[in-house]
Amino acid sequence: MTHEPARVTSLDAPVDLTNCDREPIHIPGAVQPHGALVALRGGHVVQFSENLPQLLGADASALLGAALEHVVGADVAGQLSSALGARELDRNPLFLLSASVRGQGPFDVTAHRLDDLTILEFETVPAQAVHADAYTLVRSALTRMNAAPNLEQFVDIAAHEVQALTGFDRVMIYQFADDGTGTVIAERSAPSMTPYLGLRYPASDIPKQARALYVLNMLRLIGDVNYEPARMLAQPGEAPLDMSYCVLRSVSPIHLEYLRNMGVGASMSISLLRGAELWGLIACHHNSPRTLSPNVRAACELIGQVASVQLSAWQERNDQTYQLHLKDAQTQLMERLSNAPDLMEALVGQNSQLLEFVDATGAAVCLDGEVIRMGRTPSAAQVHGLRDWLGTQSNAEVLHTRALGELYAGADPATASGLLAVQLSKLRGDYVMWFRPEEVQTVTWGGDPNKPAEIASDGSERLSPRRSFEAWQQTVRGRSHAWLPEEVAAARTLRRALLSLVLRRAEELRELNDDLTRSNADLARSNADLDAFAYIASHDLKEPLRGLHNYSVFLLESYAQQLDEDGVAKLTTLVRLTQRMDDLIDSLLLYSRVGRVDLSFRATDLNDLLDDVLDVLSARLEQVGAQVTRGPLPTLDVDRVRVGEVLNNLVSNAVKYTEGAPRIEVGALPPGERGDLTPPPEVPDDAWILYVRDHGIGIREKHFENIFRIFKRLHARDQFGGGTGAGLTIVKKIIERHGGQIWVTSTYGQGSTFYFTLQPGEAGA
Amino acid sequence: MTPHRLLIVEDSDEDFQAIQWALQRLDRPYPLERCVDGDAALSWIQDGEHWPSLILLDLNLPGTDGREVLTALRADPRTRPLPVVVLSTSASERDVNECYLLGANSYLTKPVNFTQFTEQLRLTLAYWLDAVRLPQAPEHR
Repeated sequence: MTHEPARVTSLDAPVDLTNCDREPIHIPGAVQPHGALVALRGGHVVQFSENLPQLLGADASALLGAALEHVVGADVAGQLSSALGARELDRNPLFLLSASVRGQGPFDVTAHRLDDLTILEFETVPAQAVHADAYTLVRSALTRMNAAPNLEQFVDIAAHEVQALTGFDRVMIYQFADDGTGTVIAERSAPSMTPYLGLRYPASDIPKQARALYVLNMLRLIGDVNYEPARMLAQPGEAPLDMSYCVLRSVSPIHLEYLRNMGVGASMSISLLRGAELWGLIACHHNSPRTLSPNVRAACELIGQVASVQLSAWQERNDQTYQLHLKDAQTQLMERLSNAPDLMEALVGQNSQLLEFVDATGAAVCLDGEVIRMGRTPSAAQVHGLRDWLGTQSNAEVLHTRALGELYAGADPATASGLLAVQLSKLRGDYVMWFRPEEVQTVTWGGDPNKPAEIASDGSERLSPRRSFEAWQQTVRGRSHAWLPEEVAAARTLRRALLSLVLRRAEELRELNDDLTRSNADLARSNADLDAFAYIASHDLKEPLRGLHNYSVFLLESYAQQLDEDGVAKLTTLVRLTQRMDDLIDSLLLYSRVGRVDLSFRATDLNDLLDDVLDVLSARLEQVGAQVTRGPLPTLDVDRVRVGEVLNNLVSNAVKYTEGAPRIEVGALPPGERGDLTPPPEVPDDAWILYVRDHGIGIREKHFENIFRIFKRLHARDQFGGGTGAGLTIVKKIIERHGGQIWVTSTYGQGSTFYFTLQPGEAGA
Repeated sequence: MTPHRLLIVEDSDEDFQAIQWALQRLDRPYPLERCVDGDAALSWIQDGEHWPSLILLDLNLPGTDGREVLTALRADPRTRPLPVVVLSTSASERDVNECYLLGANSYLTKPVNFTQFTEQLRLTLAYWLDAVRLPQAPEHR
């Protein structure tokens, strides 16, 4: 430990909140005046507090360089020497004895060693002195504390026991957070006093170096906040005395002002440690000056040590409980993820545990272009902005901040000062984000942050301890609670799980695709088998059919005279039925052939093709007086023969399903000129749409699908020229084999239009 | 001039009767030889005793089928000249082409409609038996 070369102390230089973090409080150069201090090196006085001569009745002028007996007289010096000789001294002040010095006192004398110095402190024994030893004082208190079932009751009992032991008006237990802020978690005080329980105090209320001293020295006492410090006097060249372990160490004037502002007359604090870290404080306040004898202080230290151990255990358990809770939420979410078919639903559905997972107040999931928010989050637009911003960050795989506003201007501090984001896909903008609001909004702060600055008597504005809240608030605006390492780790785990899940889904999808390809091949094979079966079966059917037909014919030819009219009619029906069956078998054969036979695609001028078809049908068309109007048709890559069948069939149907002279239109809509027509979604934009329109009987909408089913007829067998009901099925199959679609629009009683395409879309190409 | 004689290779009795009936209606009372399968037909032709004017060959036969009979007839120089008219239920292009490649002289599909069938047969017999000159049986027989 190095010292300033000059004797710089708090008494020499003004200290305020802007520099109190740098105040060298371990070398204050003064003591509290209810006691006196002397430092000896090699048995001779090298430093003493200026009140020592008066307090002990010693001769001030001869003290520096003198031996101990000059300080306390030969008698007490002898007692002290033997007490010091009996025990090994270390940095922890040790109570040696109580004794009167030169008729003054009695004094409690404590001693400790620091480097080559032996430091003795003399304190006037308080009027209300308790003489029992420390262990006796705390034995029953410790028993009661150890029986506490949880942290809340434990700290409450501890506060109660300390108050009972010390008689302080108010005993509070503070717990510090990682950021140094402290919250009052237990309080015992007179009913008339303002309760501080649950309030939170900024970290600046206890400066850094004070915290360091709290770890070194577990107990501090200020007997009277209005004391006049007694300065240290030293031999020339002597370094300022390090008072880290001194009971009488004079405290910072800022701290005294702070206490006075609070209306406190005396104070004591007992450190609560977790390992070498300051976990919290037992803070005691008294309305008037108060000192405690060393045995009571030792009892308080004992309570502090036991409480430290116990609180560490509670904290450990709480941390473990929280970690278990995290793990539990993780497990539940993972289970959901592995079972749910929908990733998004698993993440944000009911009881998803997504918020509990990292103790967030809000979350947003961006997946496959969809954004779903839960809890308290920024607006949808803000989340979109945040997602875009994350896409520009190089470290966005797992990004966490408690001050998003410092990184990203579009942040909303009220909902998203804290951001914990994991990236699932930068390319697709898939993220899971958790939010926390700024901390100022979540806690009750001790003190009034809006209290105006205090104006000093000379008119200058200066910071006071109470004003520190405002300063502190300025520094925590836009900052949330920090994300715990466990929480970040949990987010990382979730990311890994989601990624592997996404990968697994992709894998499954690929397998599904493979399966589909396989079953497509299987299907193609069994379709081919079916076609072949239909082909062979129909041939075999034809032979007995011919037999039936022929014999009926023979019977009619040879025996018609011997049969009555009814017999002849029945034989005639038999002949007609065999012919009908023959038609059906032919249609089936044709249909199976459309599926089986390879098409031969060639650039075909459909105008020519239509000429041919109309030519073939001309006799029929003339016979019924049909009028055919035609628009220009495109040249397409098609199987000429099959598409000829399509046109033939559709035109024949148009003739067939019209009562009176048919008016038939054949035409085509070029790509981009659809007019009022809304084609089915599968129809590609760049396809020509051909159509055959009639003004015939029309089709009811409920039959639009039926008409394409094989052997499905809408009319009685012999109505509208008969037919097998396979024509449109074959037409549809031919069109599908060209990669096209066919659909119908119709107004019942006014005519139908069959639209079809003959070009596959990109997907079907 | 040798009187015409026909070989009918047909396993179906009904179809054979239909042919008989049609011939009767067409007033073509030629001597008919019927074989019910390919093997019988081949041995009847190849034993050197017979020389039919025309063979009506059903394509789908039990055992040795029409295609094999055709192949065997065309592979043997002695029977190669014989006119063979294939009768089949199948209208498949593949079947038709295959038969011509194997050396069939004509291919008729058997319709169910008897009148149609009779008409087909009338045209076929008029052509093969009345219009064209047929190959004679080899001298050395």
